[in-house]
Amino acid sequence: MIAFVILAILALGGGVGVVVARQPVHSALFLILNILALAIFYILLSAEFLAAAQVIVYAGAIMVLFLFVVTLLTAGKDDAEPQEGLAGQRLTAGILAVLAGGGLAVLGVLYPSQSIPFGLPPNFGNLHGMGLNLWNQDFVYLAAVALMLLTAAIGVLVLNRPQRRQHRAGVKGEDS
Amino acid sequence: MIVLEIVLLVIKIILLIAILMGGFAYTMLLERRLLGFFQLRLGPNRVGPGGLLQPIADGLKMVLKEDLMPLGADPFVYRLAPVISLFTALCVDAVIPFGAPIHLFGLTVTLDIANPSIGLLIAFAFSSLGVYGLVLGGWASQNKYSLLGGIRASAQIISYELAMGLAVMGVLMTTHTANLEGIVLYQKAHGWLWLPQIGAFLIYFITGIAETNRTPFDLPEAESELVAGYHTEYSGMRFASYIIAEYINMITVSGIAVTLFFGGWLGPWLPPIIWFFIKIGIFLFIFIWIRATLPRFRYDQLMNFGWKVLVPAALIYFLGTAAFVSGIL
Repeated sequence: MIAFVILAILALGGGVGVVVARQPVHSALFLILNILALAIFYILLSAEFLAAAQVIVYAGAIMVLFLFVVTLLTAGKDDAEPQEGLAGQRLTAGILAVLAGGGLAVLGVLYPSQSIPFGLPPNFGNLHGMGLNLWNQDFVYLAAVALMLLTAAIGVLVLNRPQRRQHRAGVKGEDS
Repeated sequence: MIVLEIVLLVIKIILLIAILMGGFAYTMLLERRLLGFFQLRLGPNRVGPGGLLQPIADGLKMVLKEDLMPLGADPFVYRLAPVISLFTALCVDAVIPFGAPIHLFGLTVTLDIANPSIGLLIAFAFSSLGVYGLVLGGWASQNKYSLLGGIRASAQIISYELAMGLAVMGVLMTTHTANLEGIVLYQKAHGWLWLPQIGAFLIYFITGIAETNRTPFDLPEAESELVAGYHTEYSGMRFASYIIAEYINMITVSGIAVTLFFGGWLGPWLPPIIWFFIKIGIFLFIFIWIRATLPRFRYDQLMNFGWKVLVPAALIYFLGTAAFVSGIL
């Protein structure tokens, strides 16, 4: 319970920090904090594999790519933000978020669903259980996601392929 | 009993950190002396017998140096970055079994801090966090060379981590376990894995050199083009943290390679832990040998090599191993 409270505070703090931070790099750092807190949550649920995958995939790969882009784009810019185009959008967004979250919580308490499974299924989130899930009942979804990602990757390659040179002479410089 | 276990755990953690720090210091000395011999000079041999006290002198010098921070730097991130590097470097070793369990005063002591069922993935998780130290350090310094070094580090490590993960998958599939101790025990029963997994081993070792940012993959700190890359602005102990992290990462990559492909602590006659250190020592020598021999990659060569050679090769070897393990072949 103590661990849960500490982690919840860390995760929530990270989430709020992402929105509040002025520097994009600080936002990314807060997001990493959030991701790591979630990973430790998984460990508390004894879902070790989920935790490791969370850290490797999200913190280790995706956030590094984020940081790559953010450090590249924000280099040498000062902190001063331009005036917001839409007045009061932070306040409105905050109120709407609280209303939506609160509404969902109230609905959940008022109309509990019929079967709330307590406890965790066997092999929850460890290597064996995840493998069984992914390769047995959920294999169609796994294959669909894999296909979609492959399409996206090939699409990027096709869209970014170098233009065929019309006139070879005149263009100097090496092709990467 | 629980108190005893906690005390034991704390002792093991302190011992591990002491071993790694000592290992770092003397790997550094070994590297400087070996580089000297490779280049037909002597290397540092004046402090103490044969230069053995040189690491202490270096450490003292580092502690006494002034701790500088550039004016425009982001103070929090600037201070955080070397800590991340050192912390993640130290954490990875917690799951590596240094030797067979030993029996002491009626207690069975395993020679690792933790032995999770997915130890290999935990090691990868921590080592994948290490790159933040480089990227954030480069960004927070507000120096264009540092920034370029940090950006290079992130691109390089993302590219090579993929091939590394694919290479290690072969071992996972062969041994049917991600537990590092289990992998060693499998090799005890079925022979060391470096021969059946020779392709995976080569790819792992090449990507390991790239992950530790050693020559010929030291693009992030390429001193001839980027001054010192991501740690240009660091001095004193913060600079030392980066260097310590780099050398401990070398020890870690060697340790994982030994565990996965060369039977971990297995070996005749000598005590297991001695075998483990001997094997790590051989790997460290190869690291230094490579540094003394090979020139640095150009940046586009590095990316081409990673994406067009290593990843496809790792993928093919991975698929081949999968076909073999599942019995299709």
